[in-house]
Amino acid sequence: MNPFITPVMLGQVIISGLLAGSLYAMVALGLGLIFGVMRVLNIAHGPLLMLGAYVTFWLFSTVGLNPYLSLLVSMPLLYLLGMLLQRFLVRRVVDAPELSSLLLTFGVSIALVNVAQLAFTSDLRAVEYLTGSFVLGPFAFSKSRVIACAIAIAITVSAFLFLQKTRLGKAIRAVSQSREVAQVCGINVGRIHMIAFGLASALAAAGGSLVAVMVAIQPEMGQVYTFKSFLVIVLGGAGNYPGALLGGLLLGLIEQVSSLFLTTQVNEAVAYILLVLVLLVRPTGLLGGRAS
Amino acid sequence: MRRLGLAALAALAVVALALYPLEGTGYGVRVMLQLFMWIALAQSWNLISGLTGYVSFGHVAFYGMGAYSTAIVIVRLGWPWLPAALLGGAMAMVLALVIGWPCLRLKGPYFAIAMLGLNEVLRVAASYFEGLTGGGLGLSLPTLHASVPIYYAMGLTAAGVTLLTYVILTSRFGLRLMTIREDEVAAEAMGIDTHRYKLYAFLLSAVAPGIVGGLSARDQGYIEPISVFPLLMTITMIVMVLFGGKGTIWGPVLGAVLLFTFQELVWARFIYLHQLLFGAIIVTVVLLMPRGILGVLQQKYNLPRTI
Repeated sequence: MNPFITPVMLGQVIISGLLAGSLYAMVALGLGLIFGVMRVLNIAHGPLLMLGAYVTFWLFSTVGLNPYLSLLVSMPLLYLLGMLLQRFLVRRVVDAPELSSLLLTFGVSIALVNVAQLAFTSDLRAVEYLTGSFVLGPFAFSKSRVIACAIAIAITVSAFLFLQKTRLGKAIRAVSQSREVAQVCGINVGRIHMIAFGLASALAAAGGSLVAVMVAIQPEMGQVYTFKSFLVIVLGGAGNYPGALLGGLLLGLIEQVSSLFLTTQVNEAVAYILLVLVLLVRPTGLLGGRAS
Repeated sequence: MRRLGLAALAALAVVALALYPLEGTGYGVRVMLQLFMWIALAQSWNLISGLTGYVSFGHVAFYGMGAYSTAIVIVRLGWPWLPAALLGGAMAMVLALVIGWPCLRLKGPYFAIAMLGLNEVLRVAASYFEGLTGGGLGLSLPTLHASVPIYYAMGLTAAGVTLLTYVILTSRFGLRLMTIREDEVAAEAMGIDTHRYKLYAFLLSAVAPGIVGGLSARDQGYIEPISVFPLLMTITMIVMVLFGGKGTIWGPVLGAVLLFTFQELVWARFIYLHQLLFGAIIVTVVLLMPRGILGVLQQKYNLPRTI
């Protein structure tokens, strides 16, 4: 609660919101990709992000690799893991009712968290790399957030260009529009599913590597990103990829602006209340997506 | 003849369970009480999701609602625990009405996401309204040694919701619900007011978790937001139902007994692997036996639907 809200404060939170939002957008794009292509809500998305964060942490603390360069390791590693998950587990529930895929990915999610607890312990870890902020007039931005935002934008834009321009990207979009027609056109749907899951996991890993510099790393850090990604794709319209971008930025903004007026605790609920409201008023999302 | 044998077996089990607290240890009574709780929870999830196919992915919200309502009237107003727990059931039903009226229009995964979100909203609300709920510190209930009466209340709730499932499954109402599950558009075309029946099923499925939440709040003597709104609890109910056979009468009971026994016997020895094992169980059940034990038996031996 703060009765003294100045324009500078408002400007500051809007910028922070957009900085956070770009990360949400990138992570949620992955979740949206899986949902769009195979109608599976991947609850393990957040834990995959957590694994990405640990990759960055271990590379940083053992060989001192620059956390931003570790993206080049975490993304391919998680891409592979995502492909394997798809190949051996998720593939079997793609056509099943949503309950099966929700439960299956939840099972994978708690198993991943448990493995992380056993392998890395529950200690809070931190990558102390970039601290301090850029100061610009009355505004201050934490360096790590600005860089994370820039990288997230670059990755998101590349992902879009990939989906929009390349043959493979077009095949992915074709499968998400209509699997049958795509199959008739000679697209190997099973392979596209694997690639989509791999890409989505790589996007989660990128998110993990980027937040590793800003927040404490621990095995249960991922879940909250799963929920936020759900919200983003609901906001933007499920299966609508540009919608995920808009949804991410919007979520960042709303969270930050409402933090001016609300306590942290309630602020956590704002996202969920919004989620339910959007589902009720406009279940196809702000930009329109496909209703189930 | 077989039916008579089963009825005799069931009667024997009821008598044995009713007499158990006279002989059993305090620990044993507590364990059985928890088993009853899981049976009631699994059975109520089955009522909405097993019958209509709408996945209530935040069913623990009703449990938490019951726990809080009960604890609040006990602590603040000094109610006795039995009416307090019944009030918990009623409050859960009110919550179901408020949530279900708008949300049951959502289809497929959207309903699941909405329920998940609502559970989180309630958890935050429970820690926010400190004056009423004690916030993050939780609520401590006055000390009371009532495990045995609570054991009976819990057992009755579990039996009650199982009976309710039987009544519903053998009624026209049940047929309507299952029609919705198989094909909602067709159900509507046949003149079924789908939204109304879904809502009835949802309301009925909220009562038992509310009562059970109240009873276990009383039994444990302490509640806080994180312990009464865990997603894991919803998942456990679902896995129990899936394991036993969803949409059947005895499936949830069977699933709850098996999974709970497994949990008590095995998991206690592998505390650090708990989640990993549970994850493996979930994946196995989903991939290998999505119809559950009874579902498979039903199909194989042509058993009646009302099993």
